[in-house]
Amino acid sequence: MVQSEIAVTEEADKAAADEVRRRMALAQSGMARPAPTDPRQISRQWGTRARPSSLEGGLTIDDLNIGIYGHIPEHVESRNRIPRGATPVPGVTDVGGYSVCDSSRLWADGAGLLYEEAISRRWSTATDLPWDTARDLPDDIELAICQVATELSTHAQVEMETIAKWFRELNPVFHEVKLHLSTNIYDDARFFDGYRKRAMLNGGGMLLESPGWVNRIIQECYSGWTEVAILMFLVRGTFTQTVLRYLSVYGPTELDRELALRCMVDKTRHIQYGMEHLRFSFTSTPERAQSYAVSLIAAEAQIAREEDDHVLWEALAIIFGGGIDNIDAGMEIVNRMRRDWIQLYVDRMEWAGVPRHERLMPALKRWIEEPVEATA
Amino acid sequence: MTTTEQRPDTEQADEKTPFEVLLDAGKQHGYKLDWLRKGESFGQKLEADLTKGGLLLQDIEVGREDDIPEHSENYTGRPRGAQEREGAPRIGDYKIRDKGDVWLRNAADLYEEAIQRQWSSATDIPWNTLEALPDDIEMAQCDLATFLTDVEFVAGDVPGKWIAETSPDFYEPRMFLISQIMDEARHLDVFRKRARANGGGLMQQSRAFGGSFAGGIDNARDFTEMSARLHISGEGLVLTIFRMGERMSYNDAEKHIYRLAASDESRHVAFGVLHLKYLSEVQPERKEEIHNYLDEVEQGLVFATGSSQNPLARGGISGNSLAILLGGGDDKMDEGEQIAMAMRQRQIKEYIQRVRVAGFGERFENGRAMPVLQQYIAA
Repeated sequence: MVQSEIAVTEEADKAAADEVRRRMALAQSGMARPAPTDPRQISRQWGTRARPSSLEGGLTIDDLNIGIYGHIPEHVESRNRIPRGATPVPGVTDVGGYSVCDSSRLWADGAGLLYEEAISRRWSTATDLPWDTARDLPDDIELAICQVATELSTHAQVEMETIAKWFRELNPVFHEVKLHLSTNIYDDARFFDGYRKRAMLNGGGMLLESPGWVNRIIQECYSGWTEVAILMFLVRGTFTQTVLRYLSVYGPTELDRELALRCMVDKTRHIQYGMEHLRFSFTSTPERAQSYAVSLIAAEAQIAREEDDHVLWEALAIIFGGGIDNIDAGMEIVNRMRRDWIQLYVDRMEWAGVPRHERLMPALKRWIEEPVEATA
Repeated sequence: MTTTEQRPDTEQADEKTPFEVLLDAGKQHGYKLDWLRKGESFGQKLEADLTKGGLLLQDIEVGREDDIPEHSENYTGRPRGAQEREGAPRIGDYKIRDKGDVWLRNAADLYEEAIQRQWSSATDIPWNTLEALPDDIEMAQCDLATFLTDVEFVAGDVPGKWIAETSPDFYEPRMFLISQIMDEARHLDVFRKRARANGGGLMQQSRAFGGSFAGGIDNARDFTEMSARLHISGEGLVLTIFRMGERMSYNDAEKHIYRLAASDESRHVAFGVLHLKYLSEVQPERKEEIHNYLDEVEQGLVFATGSSQNPLARGGISGNSLAILLGGGDDKMDEGEQIAMAMRQRQIKEYIQRVRVAGFGERFENGRAMPVLQQYIAA
C-alpha cells in the first residue's frame, strides 16, 4: 500500500472512530430520540388480530389473510422485497429479478395450505425409515434398486436446481407460493438424500445416469414459470409420482415401500400446486391453454424419446417381478405403470384446462388406447 | 413357488457366478441388462444406529471421498458417482466447478441437523401468550417484524441462484443451502405472523432493501463473496440480535420466536465460517481477494446507518424500534439505546471471532481491519 493510501485509510479510520464517539454521545444525551409516531398512520390495518382458524392447526399463513392482507394483486409493479400489506416507502428501488409479477403466472389458492401441510408432515430419512429391513436382497434386485435410486435422485436434483433458479424471479408479494416452493425444494432435498442413502446402504451406489432428455426440457425452459410448472409438476411430477406409487406397493423391502410412500406423499403436494396454478392461470387467460396444447407436442416428443430407453424399465421389472428370473411378469407390471402415468398425465392436463388427448403423440397415446398386452 | 426356488440351477454353469448365470438368463429373454454391474464397493453395508442419529448423510460417503473431484467435469447433472451415459445431453449451467469455491467439511452434518431441528411457526409458538401491548411497544415489535420479514426474503432468494449454479458433484453444500431456504421461509412466515397476531400489522417497508449499485448481497459475483456478505456479515448481525431476543420480548411467543430463529441462524453462520475456513486452507492464493470482501463487509459494519441491512443500525426504523423494545417504551429510548450499543459491540466481537476462526484473523493483527472495530468494542 503506498503512503498516500495509508494516509487516506488512517484518516477514514479516525473519522469513523469520531463518528462512533459522536453517536454514543448522542445516545447518552437522548438527542437521537425521534418524535413519537401514531401507528395508525403507518399500519394499514391497526387493531385487527389474526387468530388461528383451528386449535390443532395453530396459526397458519392463510389465517393472516384478513382485510387488506387477503388481497392478492393481479399485478405488482415493485420489484423489491416489500412484504404484502406493508406501507410502501416512495423511492425504494428495485433489486433486480422478481420478473414474475402477475398472479396469473404463479398463483395457486392452495399454496398457503400446502406450505403448512408440508411443515406439519416433516420427517427425516435418517431416523424415520426402517433401514435395517433392506439387507441381504439378491444381487440383481439390490442393483435394480440402485438403478432406480439413481434415476429418482436425478429427478430430485433437476427439480431442486430448477426451483432454486426461479426463486429470484418470483415476486415476494406472492409469498404463499414462495413459501410452498421452499417446502417443495426442501422435500426434493430429502427425496434425493433418501434415495442416495438407499443406493449406498449395501454398497451398490449410483449406477447409470438418466438419459436426460426430460431433464433437459425442464432445465432449458425459460419462457415462464407456468411453462416450467407444467413440465416439472404435470409431466415429470406425474411420472415420478407413479413410479413411487408402484414402488410403495411392489418395493422388495419394508424400507423401499416406506421410502417410496413418504416421497409420494410429498410429490403429491407438488403436483397439486402445479394443477391449481394452471387452473387459476387459465381462468384468467384461457387462450394460453390452447397455446400450450400445441406447444406441448415438442415436449412430449422428448418424453417419447426417453420412453424408448430400456434401463429404467428393466430395473423396475426386476424389482416388481422379484428378480431377473421373473422379469417377464415384472415387465407386465411396468407396462401397467406406464399406461397409468400417461393416463394420469392426460387427465390432469385436461382438468387444468389443457386439452391433451387428441394431440398426444402416437408413441404415448398407444399406451392408453390399446390393451397393455398389445403395447408391450 | 417362491422367486428363489425358480432360479436356474447354477451348479450346471461352468466357471460362471450365480449372478452371471442370472444375467445370461435375462438376456436370453430379450433383455439387455447392460446397466446391471457390481461396483467395487458392492456388499459393503452401512449401519444405521438410531442411538447415533440414524443413517446420516455424512456417514454414507465414508470411503468414497475420492469420488469428490477437485474440479467437476459433470455437465449432464448426474448424481455424484453415477456412470456416465454416452450421448446424454449437457443440461447443467454449472459455473461452480471447483471444489474449493463452495466446499466445507461439515455441510452434510449441518444439513442433517437442520432436518432434525425443523419447527412449525403454526404450532410451536405459543401464540395464545400474546396479550395487548402498549401502542409504542406493539408498533416497535411490528416494525422489527416487518424489517425481518423483508430481510428473510434476501437470505432465502439469494442462495437459490448459487444452488442452481453449483455442480451436483458438490451436493452437500447445495443440500445445506436448501435447508437454509426452508429456514428462511419459516422465519419470514413467523415474523409476518407476529406482526399480524397482536393487532399491529405490517408497518413501513425498509429502505435497506432497495437496489444498490455495489456491495449488496444480491450483487455478489462469486460464491465466497456472497457467503461473506450473507453468512458472515448479514446473518451474523441478525444472529446476535436473535440471541438477545429475551431482552426485547414481552411474552413467551416472542421468546420462542427468537430462540428458534437463533438456532437456525447459527447453522447458517457456521456454514459461512466453515466454508471460508476451507477456502483459506486449500486456496491460500485467494486470501487477499477474500480480505478485500471483508474490507467491504467491515465498512458496512462500522458505517451502518438507517439504510443498512443491520437491524441495529442507528437512525433506521428497526434500530429505533429496538431501542424502544430494549428500553421499555418511547419514553425510555435512552436506556434502550445503551443496551443497543452493547448489542452492537457484541455484533462486532462476534464478527471478529468468526473471521479469526475462518482463518483470516491476521487482519486484526496487521492493521488491515478497520481500527475503529477495536475502538467500537472498547468504547
